[in-house]
Amino acid sequence: MEKVCRDWAKQAFGEGLVDAKYWDEFATNAQTAAAEVYKVKDFAAGEAKLKELLAQYAPKEIIAVGGEENPALHDIYERIGNDGTQIYTDKFDIYDHRDSADVGISTAEFCVAETGSLCVDNYSYEARVTSMLPFVNIVFVNANYIVKDVTVACQIIGKVFDKGYLGFVTGPSRTADIERVLSLGVHGPNKLLIIAVENVEGGR
Amino acid sequence: MAERNLKKEIQEKLQDDIMQSALSKFAEQYPGSRLNAYKDQDIEELRENLRQMKHDAVQHIDELADEFQASLEKRGTKVFRAKDGDEVKKILIDICKENNVKRVVKSKSMASEEIHMNECFTDNGIRVKETDLGEWMIALAGQRPSHMVMPAIHLNRYQCAKMFEKEVDHEVPGEDIPNMIQLARKTLRQEFLQADMGVTGANFGIAENGAIGLVTNEGNARLVTTLPRIHVVLIGYEKLIPKTEDAASILRLLPRNGTCQRMTSYMTMVDGPTKVIYKDENGRHVETDRKQYVILLDNGRLEAAKDPVLQQAFQCVRCASCLNVCPIWTLVGGHVYGHIYSGGIGAILTGLFHGVETFHEFSDLCIGCRKCASICPGKIPIPDLIDELRARYVKKYGAPGMDKTMFNMVLNDRGMFHKLLLKAGSIGSAPFKKGKFIRHLPLFMEELTKGRSLPTIAEESFRDRVERLSKKNPSKPKKRVAYFSGCNMDFVFADTSENVVKVLQSLDMEVVYPMEQACCGKPILGIGDREAGKETAKKNIAAFEKVQPDVIISACPTCTETLHETYMKLFENDPEWKARAAAFCSKVREFSSFVAEEYKKTGRLVHAKGGEKVTFHDSCHMKRGLGIYEEPRALIDATPGVELVEMHNCDKCCGMAGSFGMKYQEVSIPMLNEKVKNIQDTGATTAVVACPACMMQIGGGLDKAETGINTKHIADLLAEKL
Ligand code: SF4
Ligand code: SF4
Repeated sequence: MEKVCRDWAKQAFGEGLVDAKYWDEFATNAQTAAAEVYKVKDFAAGEAKLKELLAQYAPKEIIAVGGEENPALHDIYERIGNDGTQIYTDKFDIYDHRDSADVGISTAEFCVAETGSLCVDNYSYEARVTSMLPFVNIVFVNANYIVKDVTVACQIIGKVFDKGYLGFVTGPSRTADIERVLSLGVHGPNKLLIIAVENVEGGR
Repeated sequence: MAERNLKKEIQEKLQDDIMQSALSKFAEQYPGSRLNAYKDQDIEELRENLRQMKHDAVQHIDELADEFQASLEKRGTKVFRAKDGDEVKKILIDICKENNVKRVVKSKSMASEEIHMNECFTDNGIRVKETDLGEWMIALAGQRPSHMVMPAIHLNRYQCAKMFEKEVDHEVPGEDIPNMIQLARKTLRQEFLQADMGVTGANFGIAENGAIGLVTNEGNARLVTTLPRIHVVLIGYEKLIPKTEDAASILRLLPRNGTCQRMTSYMTMVDGPTKVIYKDENGRHVETDRKQYVILLDNGRLEAAKDPVLQQAFQCVRCASCLNVCPIWTLVGGHVYGHIYSGGIGAILTGLFHGVETFHEFSDLCIGCRKCASICPGKIPIPDLIDELRARYVKKYGAPGMDKTMFNMVLNDRGMFHKLLLKAGSIGSAPFKKGKFIRHLPLFMEELTKGRSLPTIAEESFRDRVERLSKKNPSKPKKRVAYFSGCNMDFVFADTSENVVKVLQSLDMEVVYPMEQACCGKPILGIGDREAGKETAKKNIAAFEKVQPDVIISACPTCTETLHETYMKLFENDPEWKARAAAFCSKVREFSSFVAEEYKKTGRLVHAKGGEKVTFHDSCHMKRGLGIYEEPRALIDATPGVELVEMHNCDKCCGMAGSFGMKYQEVSIPMLNEKVKNIQDTGATTAVVACPACMMQIGGGLDKAETGINTKHIADLLAEKL
């Protein structure tokens, strides 16, 4: 999958800028923005959480990205497929099912504590449609990758952003254009579910 | 264009109950929600940081544009520079022809509305759809947005449902908002999927890498920049910033001020052509770089950017919070401003993009209360820029005749003016007069007393009392104080002026009153006539130089601000008068802050036993112009027998605002009614003010509504307890 930066941790995160200690602040602010947040200890626990969520939303079709870069996710997607749910991970398959899929699974590079945002590297078309078109977006992120505020986040982005497409996602798509009543899921997802993995090496 | 009847348009909006209820609810909730979004943040530091960043960027606007263009070209984007809207439209049509574009989706862009971009698509048979929900509904109904961030705030759900019906041709129940949202999602999803081209604006453009930033909640901008195979960006030069990290300065304030969120749902940065997948004619998948075109729009921006005063307008990040707190906007809504940008900043931007003539049509709608300037993330002194544009209009077209004749009389013959006022006032004598107020006026003047009583003109003007009062000056004075009365305190509230003198004398001050003093000049400066303003200023400066005072005191905050600050600015480039003005201005003090200081020195500024409830109204010029609001409260607290109870929205404008309150009754009276209600709700028996204009308005409102509540200037309150 095309990305703005191949390895954010190595190339973008500077000394001391990213820290797990901001978790509580991040989680609170993400929840205020109507995201659901789940911290899991490793990918095995993440898979269990994912399956639990999928059982809840019972998708007919899933589109998913991030498996190419992350073997753990790759295996999880494969097992979901083997369990009998349609899951598409090839970019052209994703294109074909972008409007019919009910759930999109994607990844984020880091979290922003101040705002409860996820920083997403969306250079590729498939990453964008996966996170935007289905009604539910589930996002995997490393729970240790949290920056304090938007200022630090922009510094980090500035180090690697030379071309492409990236940004912050903070809660689901929303509008208040009718009588200032908050309504979710207007163009993008109605649900944003974040699975934050503490130990990305363990549990495989 | 046909001459507009602004008063009539305002009337209609005031009678639109749906809009009125939406706006008043919003105005009530907004300030608290905004502060909540800033919890644990140093707002002033963030504002200063943004101001600085944008200020520096504007100084280098040409270099930034060159760098931005070069960055984009290096990445494969085609960049255009357009002088005006017509050039933009020509470029767009060429792009559409070259790429065989039939369908266009747009995400919100103020710049595109500014130049009426959509017309060029429809004229050429190209289908164009706004995709921001509010903009989409408004466009379906052929209306104009009334707010930069919430375009449909003037409508209720049933009106929105009617707009939906235009697009979906079946009945849409207005009760069910979630259903409407899903209907919009379904309808617009097809537009996104089928569009050939997506058009966006940009919240910022980054010179170092050519990225543009888009801040939205719905996510429509992400779809507009993802699904179609062509992306066109229309961006004003003023949106350019040097580096990616500078975006943080904007992003930490824009969502908080704009929608009271720490961050909007989506903040997207797009840099150059990005990947797109589609199927070719043979049904085969193609993955390729999307075509990207960026159009830099001038339309008056580059010229304004070189103007040291007006360039401050480019510190604007279009959060619209200046509308949300504006006492006029929240009453009349956005449509009466007539152009795409409404509110105070709207008037300014319209002036820059469409000329001072268009600006002038609705420049009256700012009363200079400074509420907006106190919360603007870019720290733009909005009312000052409006004053500047008014001055430019007057320079070009002259001051309105009527205002000027009146003013010359006020200025040059004060004695004559008083006689005239008395005579005019006498039509209001018995049976209309009651106590110190005129409740009704006959015939054509009736309008003036519709929602408020008018104060009577003092039988004996203050200037006629000076000789008598001077006799009570202390023999060994601490200071020599020269009193500047201003018009109201001379002719209308002469008793209050007398109390000012008494309080000062009680502090062992010698009070002198230079007879040649004139009006402070604010009314004429307010309409933009700086030359006449300078004449007035010179007259006053000379008059006060003669008496050689230690301090110059005014008990009117508007006069104080004019004497203390505006005079300085007026003579900035006048070598002869600059020094004289500086000497004068440095001596000017507002009454209550001066008295509080002197009380403190003598140990009198201490809590006294309370009693009768009084409430205090902050005048706009006093609180936000001079930054004085603690001192009068301390004085009330130190006054025996009274107890301060705060009213709701104590610093919201009472609606008088110079001559505005007389000229725009229809706007002024609802503002006054709100103030009267807030005062009544406190249970106070007296409303204390520190400004004669507020005293006239609030006193008149409390009397007309027969509340039995007194209105007193702080000088009256203090003098009573001497
Ligand atoms: S002038 Fe200031 S408050 Fe008004 S829209 Fe611009 S940035 Fe916001
Ligand atoms: S100064 Fe007051 S009246 Fe003028 S635009 Fe600002 S808030 Fe509105």
